[in-house]
Amino acid sequence: MAEFETVHPLGDLDQLLADHAHHGEGAPGVQLSIRTQAACVQLFSRKGRHEDVAKALKLNASPGVASASKSHTALPLSPGQWMVTSNQSADRLAAKLQAKIKDMGYVSQQGDARVCFRIAGPSARDLMARGCRLDLDESRVGTGFCAQTNMAQVGVLLHQISDEPAYDLYVYAGFARSFFHWLSHTAAQFGYRIDKL
Amino acid sequence: MHQIDCPWCGTRDEAEFQYQGDATVQRPKPDADEETFFRYVYARENPKGWHVEWWHHVAGCRQWIKVVRNTLTHEIDSTGGPQSKLTKPDEKGGTKS
Repeated sequence: MAEFETVHPLGDLDQLLADHAHHGEGAPGVQLSIRTQAACVQLFSRKGRHEDVAKALKLNASPGVASASKSHTALPLSPGQWMVTSNQSADRLAAKLQAKIKDMGYVSQQGDARVCFRIAGPSARDLMARGCRLDLDESRVGTGFCAQTNMAQVGVLLHQISDEPAYDLYVYAGFARSFFHWLSHTAAQFGYRIDKL
Repeated sequence: MHQIDCPWCGTRDEAEFQYQGDATVQRPKPDADEETFFRYVYARENPKGWHVEWWHHVAGCRQWIKVVRNTLTHEIDSTGGPQSKLTKPDEKGGTKS
């Protein structure tokens, strides 16, 4: 049987970063990072067990607000569904979640299916305003805000991680290269630096 | 551009949604005749005025929602989940037409 090599859309990340490591003179307006180590596990509750799962894991079940613990952050996607992210191993995270929710739901690892871009720096909110239809003004939303929406025609799971502000954007891996091009082109007007986390 | 009030996500731009047709169509019983099934699958009204429709929040929570929209003015009267019994304003006896 033929062996197939797995090709990740950002598999040539090191070369991409070498080509796009920075743009503009002086202090950058935007600091872009690609979180290569972020574990993503999608959590689904079985029908009617939505509140039981939220209670078992102490998750916020209402939309728009992430729930953070020491080990992971859960972003509500829709009723009974969360994306749980962590810097620990995805295997360990998935096993831990499944053990806690028992038969009330199930988990699915999404680490290879998503790419996480982190946007920080003084012009981060201005950059977001170029592509995001949601009102991200500090008077409306703050740390912990999360939502699914579209940016540059690409589906994005958005999470505001600080009031600085800084944002994590989870993008489907198949669209990550296209999204990266939009991001780097749009960030060029502010000046940017880019690295791996 | 419409702004649609998703029951879960809140008010979002139309660009996040896909229109999915008339929400009042009921599937006929399995023993219904061919003409009834033909009309169920293909035949739709094209009303001028209030219309109860399905919209899929494809870029948000991925849920299907019901929207009462005026096809003439694009005004949206109400939205709700799939189980909601939404009524057109002209059937409530209100002043909207």
